[in-house]
Amino acid sequence: MFTRRLQGKRFLVACLHTSRRVQNSRKVIEKFKLADIGEGITECEIIKWNVKPQAVIQAFDPLCEVQSDKASVEITSPFDGVVTELLVQEGQVAKVGSNLCLIEVVKEGAIGISPNVAEPVNTSSNPDTNSLPTIESEQESGSSKEFTSASRRKHPMDPTFTPDAKSNSPIFATPSVRHIARQRGVDLAQLAPGSGKEGRIERRDIDDYLAGAATTKAPVALQDDQDVVVELGRTRHSMWKAMEKSLHIPHFGYSTTLDLTTLHGLLPSLNANIPPHFLPPSVIPTLPLAVSPSSVYPPSPPPEIPPSGQYTRLTYLPFLLKTLAKSMFEWPLFRASITTTDPSSRPTLTIRPHSDISVALSTPNGLYTPTIQSADSHSMYALFSQLKYLSHLGRQIPCGLTPKEMPKRGGTLTVSNVGAIGAGDFAAPVLVPGGGVAIVALGRAKWVWDVDRGDGSGERRLKLGVSWSADHRVIEGAELAAFVECWRGYVENPARLIADSV
Amino acid sequence: MLSPRLLSSTRCRLHPTSSGRYIHNLDTSLRHRSIQPPKPINPQHAIYLSKSTNPYFNLSLEDWLFRHKAPDEPLLLLYRDDPCVVIGRNQNPWKEVNLPALRVREGVPFIRRRSGGGTVYHDLGNTNFSIHLPRTSFDRHMTAQVVLRAVCSLGIDATVNDRNDICVGKEKVSGSAYKIVSQRAYHHGTMLISTQLNTLGDLLHNTKDTMETKGVASVRSPVRNLQQFNRGVTHEAFVDAVVHEFNEEYGIRNVDGEVQIVSEDNCRDIEYIQNGMSELPSWEWAYGQTPEFTYTVSQAFEWGTVTAKIRSKHGIILDCACSLSVADNSVSSISAIQPGVVDSLDPQLKDIERALLNRRYGFVSAMEILNSLSINGVDDETGSGVRAAKDIALWLERTMNS
Repeated sequence: MFTRRLQGKRFLVACLHTSRRVQNSRKVIEKFKLADIGEGITECEIIKWNVKPQAVIQAFDPLCEVQSDKASVEITSPFDGVVTELLVQEGQVAKVGSNLCLIEVVKEGAIGISPNVAEPVNTSSNPDTNSLPTIESEQESGSSKEFTSASRRKHPMDPTFTPDAKSNSPIFATPSVRHIARQRGVDLAQLAPGSGKEGRIERRDIDDYLAGAATTKAPVALQDDQDVVVELGRTRHSMWKAMEKSLHIPHFGYSTTLDLTTLHGLLPSLNANIPPHFLPPSVIPTLPLAVSPSSVYPPSPPPEIPPSGQYTRLTYLPFLLKTLAKSMFEWPLFRASITTTDPSSRPTLTIRPHSDISVALSTPNGLYTPTIQSADSHSMYALFSQLKYLSHLGRQIPCGLTPKEMPKRGGTLTVSNVGAIGAGDFAAPVLVPGGGVAIVALGRAKWVWDVDRGDGSGERRLKLGVSWSADHRVIEGAELAAFVECWRGYVENPARLIADSV
Repeated sequence: MLSPRLLSSTRCRLHPTSSGRYIHNLDTSLRHRSIQPPKPINPQHAIYLSKSTNPYFNLSLEDWLFRHKAPDEPLLLLYRDDPCVVIGRNQNPWKEVNLPALRVREGVPFIRRRSGGGTVYHDLGNTNFSIHLPRTSFDRHMTAQVVLRAVCSLGIDATVNDRNDICVGKEKVSGSAYKIVSQRAYHHGTMLISTQLNTLGDLLHNTKDTMETKGVASVRSPVRNLQQFNRGVTHEAFVDAVVHEFNEEYGIRNVDGEVQIVSEDNCRDIEYIQNGMSELPSWEWAYGQTPEFTYTVSQAFEWGTVTAKIRSKHGIILDCACSLSVADNSVSSISAIQPGVVDSLDPQLKDIERALLNRRYGFVSAMEILNSLSINGVDDETGSGVRAAKDIALWLERTMNS
């Protein structure tokens, strides 16, 4: 088989971030107790269960309804999980503090961006934090209840009561998350809206906020003569785990150089004609128009582009992505993803109609790979705008990327523009499960003397090194080589692109 | 407290508030005299007064306000209903409500509400209040005190009993119930001002001692109208008093303190309310939420006594165990006269039991029972076996409808 690797050096270029793969997870059965409802109630009758055993529930979903003398109480689930067993039947009476049901919760060791899986309740040593909802009772009738938190919310009639300044937008967070926030002295208003469902603040938002706060503090001066032990952070750890998984994939590599000279010559013209909606407002030339195209009928308005998606100059990257998307169109194999559902049957590939390309994004938070969906249907200008927008989001602290930018499906090819960081010539990138069938690392373009051109006397050409790694279970060496030649056919001869639009 | 003046056209109401302001509540169609769509209602105000007397609407409105108001702010809703019987969330209508008496009164339904507690009777002489608060600061005693102060301000010497009901002396004038969900809780209750108490007594009369039910039983108490203590008390006076005390207690000021008048027209576009209004009368809610109960009844016929023990849950008959005891004090000649009856009855009883399985309690007709009886091979020359089965079927139908 056709393999070529740099001896000895594994230059990790792109580490694909796998989000929803549950890594290192274990299932824990949580006991859900009947919480103290307050008002001196010691027991309740279960009127109705809203779930059956083996039902999947999410935090805040109604779990059951109980009744105590004249009060009907609706109890919602504190966890995301699966209800495994109902311990009290409808019509039976349960005492406050007794177990109502068992819920199986997935606990993950360290979590990357997994917004679909809410963090389970903190299993601290205090078992009472497991029962929800705990109540900070404000009763002035003098009933003896212990206050579980240090800061009580004041009764509106309390003379020292100050209503919230901004109380219009409610802050959503489960009671367990609020408890953790209180423990750590984090004001939830700073975090709203969170990353959970419907803007809910999740536990990892608190962790990220604190981590972000921590890094802004001055780093502790390292002693020069002592070893320092550093524990990997969440994103780094998920990269670790993803790379371990990548060992299952048989990689092979292929490298070549692309001639970007013609493209280089086109760039000034392309830059001069960036559509106005992609230009920052300050740059848009305001020429007085003698005649306007909108005089009879206005053309359809351009889409709203956020400021982070505006630019004044293009680079080669959107062009390379667009030509790659066109090549993918001709090569359905590179629009495929492995979707084997049943391990005992034959593996299956799912071919997508459009080219989805993931882009490796290096940020202070870690390495992410957002996906550009249907890259073949976007113009180069739109692609570049999207790239700028994604990198802006990714470089926010905390990270602004959401599942919308990093969908579960991911792309079928990944592009890593490491040439922006270093003047690399070649690399051997690593594929990760869920990261598509191939990955390409783009080096840095440089001017070289190409002796093959110019009737043997040579010519100065702009060359870019590209290094591919592909999944040999799916792609043959010859197929990859031929695909890259197809790509080269577009990159080195951009005039061909005219044929498609005329 | 000033007594409110009512204009002859009841469309305009002037309500004196604690600060002496008068709030105009003109019906929008009257004011504009043109086709104006009614203003859609916003759940973020503090005080609501429903103009509608449709109990389904009022209960759904209450639930909608409960679920959609900002969780940290107090809310008050006041409303009156057309005559109806309202049972608690987990009650048994067959036990609590005198259904035959109810059927006689056309247009009076029974409704299961969403909060717990016992059975009450509403009519236009009864005013309902509903106080919604954040769950963590909800205290049923405090809310009861708010209403108590309102009643006392009308010149009535009222107290709160140990069940948190407002009484005058030994007699109840108000009943309460509560609902608690994750962020909010409410205390709502009735206030008898000028209710037809004999109707109340009739419709809530319970005679089924042999019906044993899980779920909450009503605690019966003698009741009186406020007007029996002070002739001048009216619905409007009570509303004003409660609004005043509510404002005082929760520090509602100015714009927030303005009473929002709501009618069904304001809520036509609110799907939540419309869905609630159609859910409340449905069989699944009204009957299907009944907890498990067992009803043991006996009936003596000419040929013997049948005892039926019907077990039902969620309004569905789970099983019905029928047993037959031949009248043994009768002259033995009866058995001699109807020899085949007992023999033919036993399998028929089994058929009747089977016919009732999984049917809706109270919704089975005698015809349906009889139609599903199999024709057994036992000879029944006199036809008395069939007659006996008919008797039993009719009796069971009557029993379940009572």
